[in-house]
Amino acid sequence: MTRHSSFPAFISTVLLSLILQMVALPDVIAPFRPEWVAMSLVYWAHATTDKPVLVTAWLCGLALDVLFNTPLGQHALALVTITFVVRRLRSSLILFPLPQVSLVLALAWAAYAFMMFWIDGLSHHSAVPSLRWLPVISTTLIWPLAAMAMDRLRAQPKLRRLT
Amino acid sequence: MNTTLHDTAPKPLFARGPGLALNFFLLGCLSIALMVMDTTSPRFASARAWAAWALQPLIWVAQAPQNLAQLGDAFQPRDDLLAENRQLKQHQIELDARLLKLESLEAENERIRALLSSAASLPDRVLISEVMATSQDPYRHQIVLNRGERDGVYKGQALIDANGVMGQVIQVNPSTCVALLITDPDHGIPVEFNRTGLQTIALGRGDGQGLSLPYLAGNADVKVGDLLVSSGLGGRFPAGYPVGRVFELRHAAGENFMEALAYPAAKLNEGRQALLVWSEHGADPVVDVTVPTARPEVKKTQGEHERGGERAAQSATSKAAGKAASPANSAANSNKVGESARAPNLKLSTSTKVAPEKSTADTSAAGAKTSASGNATTGPKSRHKADSPAAAASPP
Repeated sequence: MTRHSSFPAFISTVLLSLILQMVALPDVIAPFRPEWVAMSLVYWAHATTDKPVLVTAWLCGLALDVLFNTPLGQHALALVTITFVVRRLRSSLILFPLPQVSLVLALAWAAYAFMMFWIDGLSHHSAVPSLRWLPVISTTLIWPLAAMAMDRLRAQPKLRRLT
Repeated sequence: MNTTLHDTAPKPLFARGPGLALNFFLLGCLSIALMVMDTTSPRFASARAWAAWALQPLIWVAQAPQNLAQLGDAFQPRDDLLAENRQLKQHQIELDARLLKLESLEAENERIRALLSSAASLPDRVLISEVMATSQDPYRHQIVLNRGERDGVYKGQALIDANGVMGQVIQVNPSTCVALLITDPDHGIPVEFNRTGLQTIALGRGDGQGLSLPYLAGNADVKVGDLLVSSGLGGRFPAGYPVGRVFELRHAAGENFMEALAYPAAKLNEGRQALLVWSEHGADPVVDVTVPTARPEVKKTQGEHERGGERAAQSATSKAAGKAASPANSAANSNKVGESARAPNLKLSTSTKVAPEKSTADTSAAGAKTSASGNATTGPKSRHKADSPAAAASPP
């Protein structure tokens, strides 16, 4: 494997996560939408070392800021922060089994939600605060499934050549 | 996870260096700087517009499932379509008949308003637009429409649907625009109670289905079921469109103010179309300050009466400005956004309010006005009822 061999997979999953973040959901489950972009970036930061995740996180964050019309930099700062933390702790996280990693990452999603909430407060955008925290639950629940699916995909020999 | 250290980390010892922390630091600082600059000055508006344009494909892809689901509508039994067609034609005839009546009423209304040298007229230029996307962030109630700068859409333009006011445009891109719905917690709209003419501000509650009216006096005459219509103060929204209906009143013990909660009249979550309205004030705020003198559409028959009224209005304007400005100012100050009532709009709203009130300078005019608007318009358009208490209170 060369250094940037899984680059297309990286780009396509990040784009897919951006789209999933935008797809319309029924009103009942819309507040429970997982943070797809954060999840995909954290996955790549956790699973590999050769991807420019920080810059990608920043660009994705700016894209989210434009799409959701938040102050430029709000999503960017939160995404860059959690991606950096996970990349930093990667060498310890990689030793633990998936359930334990999922629990630790719940803190990362909570930190993400907190930063969004905090910047909302600083920019005087009042919102129903409980809604900010619901994605933390759904993201924690979806993460193990998503991570397993991604690992399975990347482990396939046919795809390995392709990606 | 069935990956191991060995196959996932080609250079576990030296792959990460100080570069990572430095990158994080730089990007973090850049984000914070962007945020500060973006929230304090509008200099990034054009960059944002172009970024939104560049991200358009992403929105299209994200909306694709919804559009696919609507493909099912394309296949319907012929009989159903025929029945629907028949029904629609019947409806059309009914509406046509009512429209005939409406035209005569509108003409009558215009004549009567001209007699009173009132400046209010209904906005007539509208543009239908498709809702392209709704904000999937549950804390921000925004929609993206497929009309932009090319179609003459301007920032602050009012948006309505068949049932009432939906919101206003907050960002104009080259071919799309973003509108803030009235239920967004950042949004405030000046409204009046249709029944009593009481004026106040309706703020979005942010839960997607409610409006809150927090600035009501404790003894205000408000009932559950009252219709709220836009008052036109601030000049951003055209007057007289339904905004919502009160469903709950809250008296907090020990508080000076009563809060009313209302459901929006517009179907905010349903439907794919919305109407962009060119309200006469919003499009060109400077012209309308001189409303009482420049009105080319007045008919000749009323010309003489008109001129007499104008002189009185102009002489009275300076005296009345202070008094009339106070309700408008308080309404605008309590407006949380500030977007829906900026300074130039505020000025013209006072001037349009002043003219009719003072033209004949006694209370009989106010009485005539309320009765005229009550006769000549149907339902929500009787906005000048709001003035009657104020005008009646003025000394003869």
